[in-house]
Amino acid sequence: MSSLRLPIETDHLVLRPFERGDLEAVCRYHVLPTVQRYVERPTRYHEDVAKVISIMRDQVELHRPGDTLTLAMVRKGDHALVGQVSLRWSDATASQGELRFAIDPAESGKGYLTQALTALIDLAFDHFRIHRLMVRCDGRSHHSVKLMQKLGLRLEAHYREHALFQGEWDEELHFALLDREWRPSAQVVDLPVRGRVA
Amino acid sequence: MALHPDYPLLTARLRLRPFTRGDVDAVHAYRGREDVARYLFDPPLSRDECALAIQQRSTQTGFLEEGDRIVLAVEKRDDEGIVGEVSLIWRSVEARQGELGWIFHPDHHGRGYATEATNAMLDLGFGPADLHRIFARCDARNVPSWRLMERLGMRREAHFREHARFKGEWDEEFYYAILRDEWLSLRHSG
Ligand SMILES: CC(C)(COP(=O)(O)OP(=O)(O)OC[C@H]1O[C@@H](n2cnc3c(N)ncnc32)[C@H](O)[C@@H]1OP(=O)(O)O)[C@@H](O)C(=O)NCCC(=O)NCCS
Ligand SMILES: CC(C)(COP(=O)(O)OP(=O)(O)OC[C@H]1O[C@@H](n2cnc3c(N)ncnc32)[C@H](O)[C@@H]1OP(=O)(O)O)[C@@H](O)C(=O)NCCC(=O)NCCS
Repeated sequence: MSSLRLPIETDHLVLRPFERGDLEAVCRYHVLPTVQRYVERPTRYHEDVAKVISIMRDQVELHRPGDTLTLAMVRKGDHALVGQVSLRWSDATASQGELRFAIDPAESGKGYLTQALTALIDLAFDHFRIHRLMVRCDGRSHHSVKLMQKLGLRLEAHYREHALFQGEWDEELHFALLDREWRPSAQVVDLPVRGRVA
Repeated sequence: MALHPDYPLLTARLRLRPFTRGDVDAVHAYRGREDVARYLFDPPLSRDECALAIQQRSTQTGFLEEGDRIVLAVEKRDDEGIVGEVSLIWRSVEARQGELGWIFHPDHHGRGYATEATNAMLDLGFGPADLHRIFARCDARNVPSWRLMERLGMRREAHFREHARFKGEWDEEFYYAILRDEWLSLRHSG
């Protein structure tokens, strides 16, 4: 695999690795409860966010399963950091990946996540040869659900009361996308698919 | 909640009881078969492997901590032979989650024994074990298994496609689940 070229450009964004100076901007969204739900380590205070940024600054390549690539979404023009997207290489045998995202609520509804996730999905399938991507969503986050559907992800799982989150019963959705579903026309390197029942 | 049921558990036609050392041949009779193992995680088991499995199961009769499992032999009440096995695993203590499993000898398919025995395990899980949700999973091609889950009143919660490799092929898997309230209303309506 050729090495990854960063940053990545979309219509309105530049996706680049995190930098030390991003603290202020990341604090605007990272500590929100909706974002806390899916982060690996909780952040409540500025110190926590600073620690997370130092971890994210190193998440710039996928060398081995378990690695995560995390990119800041920076708006062209004013260079404002509006959110972040990440891709985790969760399994090598079956080429599985997981996407995560978070955005500053003041910047939502402007199409930024649609652009950032589209670019990351391209990267996952074309560059990293991922076979299947999955995304977890809070079952009550209707905008996230709409975003997933808009990107063409399939609803694979709807768990009800399978876990407790901050003392309440949780509802979780999983969306997924196979390489050939994203690019039905592309020549993807594929393994033999068996017959289906359902 | 911690649980040490009094055995056997009785249903209309069946007796569910812990495994004993004398069960090795009866277990090998179905766990050794290719057709039975087709969608199981384990390949067909040798007689020695069955003996080892049964040794482990002699302690798998109650819940003390997370991850504990109850694995029971299913017999007909009027007969000694084992027709299959059922299991319940305590997956989460905090969220009161359990996972249900079953394997029956093909000679005893088609009589509703699996339905009867797994219903008894749901009653155990939601009754004395005080679980909140019980789930089960199976390969999407394992039609008898997901039909069984639908007979039990479980809902299909997940349909995973190509999320893993299983026995050299892409895996396709269903998850089914039932909540305590759903179980209660099923038992009260019929
Ligand atoms: C849901 C969320 C992530 C979407 O991000 P976004 O950058 O706003 O998404 P986009 O602008 O690309 O919009 C995608 C779709 O989401 C819907 N949407 C997003 N924000 C919306 C808003 N404020 N009002 C109405 N619809 C909205 C729209 O249907 C839009 O589709 P459209 O452009 O065809 O109308 C974001 O709005 C949000 O609420 N974030 C907080 C929760 C979070 O971070 N969750 C992450 C883990 S699930
Ligand atoms: C899954 C498995 C237990 C299902 O067996 P099964 O015989 O279909 O299930 P039951 O014992 O509940 O029997 C139900 C059948 O008996 C019939 N039946 C006859 N008498 C009945 C009665 N008194 N009550 C209910 N059903 C009755 C039902 O109509 C049904 O038949 P149908 O499928 O033709 O409609 C069995 O296929 C098996 O052991 N497979 C191998 C192991 C395995 O894959 N385990 C699960 C891994 S996830």
